[in-house]
Amino acid sequence: MSVPRRAWLDALVAALDPARDLLVAGLGANARYLPHLGVRAPAFALCDAMGAAIPLALGMALVRPDRRVIALEGDGALLMNLGTLATVAAARATNLVALLFENRTYESSGGQALPAVEVDFAGVARAARCPVAARLDRPAELAAALAHAAGRGPALFVLPTAYDPREPIPPYSERPEEIRVNFARALAESTR
Amino acid sequence: MAEAAPAARAGARAVRAALEAHGVALVPSVPDTWIGWLMEELRRSPTLRVVDVAREEEAVAIACGAALCGARAAVVVQNAGLLNCGAVIASLVQLYRIPCFFLVSYRGDERDPVYYHVPKGAATEPTLTAWGVRYARAAGPARIGEQIGRALAWTEAARAPFALLFSAEDLA
Repeated sequence: MSVPRRAWLDALVAALDPARDLLVAGLGANARYLPHLGVRAPAFALCDAMGAAIPLALGMALVRPDRRVIALEGDGALLMNLGTLATVAAARATNLVALLFENRTYESSGGQALPAVEVDFAGVARAARCPVAARLDRPAELAAALAHAAGRGPALFVLPTAYDPREPIPPYSERPEEIRVNFARALAESTR
Repeated sequence: MAEAAPAARAGARAVRAALEAHGVALVPSVPDTWIGWLMEELRRSPTLRVVDVAREEEAVAIACGAALCGARAAVVVQNAGLLNCGAVIASLVQLYRIPCFFLVSYRGDERDPVYYHVPKGAATEPTLTAWGVRYARAAGPARIGEQIGRALAWTEAARAPFALLFSAEDLA
């Protein structure tokens, strides 16, 4: 069963600890929603660079082992860069969590279908030796899943997400330099 | 058959010393033969964290993640891999103006006349110019450390990518 994206995001925001967590959103709906969700943790959103969210989060996780870094990525974006699961597993970034919004659709480019095969992303992550990999069914499971992954990562949780072409996703509301500067400011403030 | 490693590696030691001296924390990398020689030296460092990645674009994203958290990184890839990175350089490094330093093994130029490297050697500098990426050729083991320091300073002042292109003789 698929869940509306917003329900996953609301559950995530409720589970965040602003003093501990950093967020990285891959391009598209998650990045566009982020400024509107009242996220108190430092957040960096990609407007482009499809497939870069998880390795970007890995760079953060490796230089900030004191923080938990959560990457929000789409299934189409991960398919472009599936090898990154081996990279993060090899790097043993225990503080990295990837949330994979799986809707089998290139939502940002108009709703085209992904290659017509049902990829078991949690299975791929397990095969790449990510220590924690699971598919969640309900947003109510997310907080417990994140707590379980603490210090055990890298972790990948697959979030089955409904694709609704009529969903009123807000447009990008921040320019890239603004995103970078706001992230740096929020990171500095949360580190004090 | 793999190329013979140079007997002396003053250049590789100079690279390590420069990266350490300038506070580089992460070295995300995809190997080639020359990078393999360099990485043997970098992996001995107590302060550099080498990150083995599956694909060059990941190395760029990892370096950007480090930079966004205030840390320095050096992306070490072959020019074949650099040529893979046009989209991520444009849509991450340049779009967000994130400092990003590349150390690139420069296969196929006049110092490396190997027929299967020559086409990418010919494409490297024109491509970097077309992408708007500043670059320099390494000037030998005695100068490569100083060049790294200058390149790191430039990437941060300009908030832009910079590629230092090295050959086997620069590591010897």
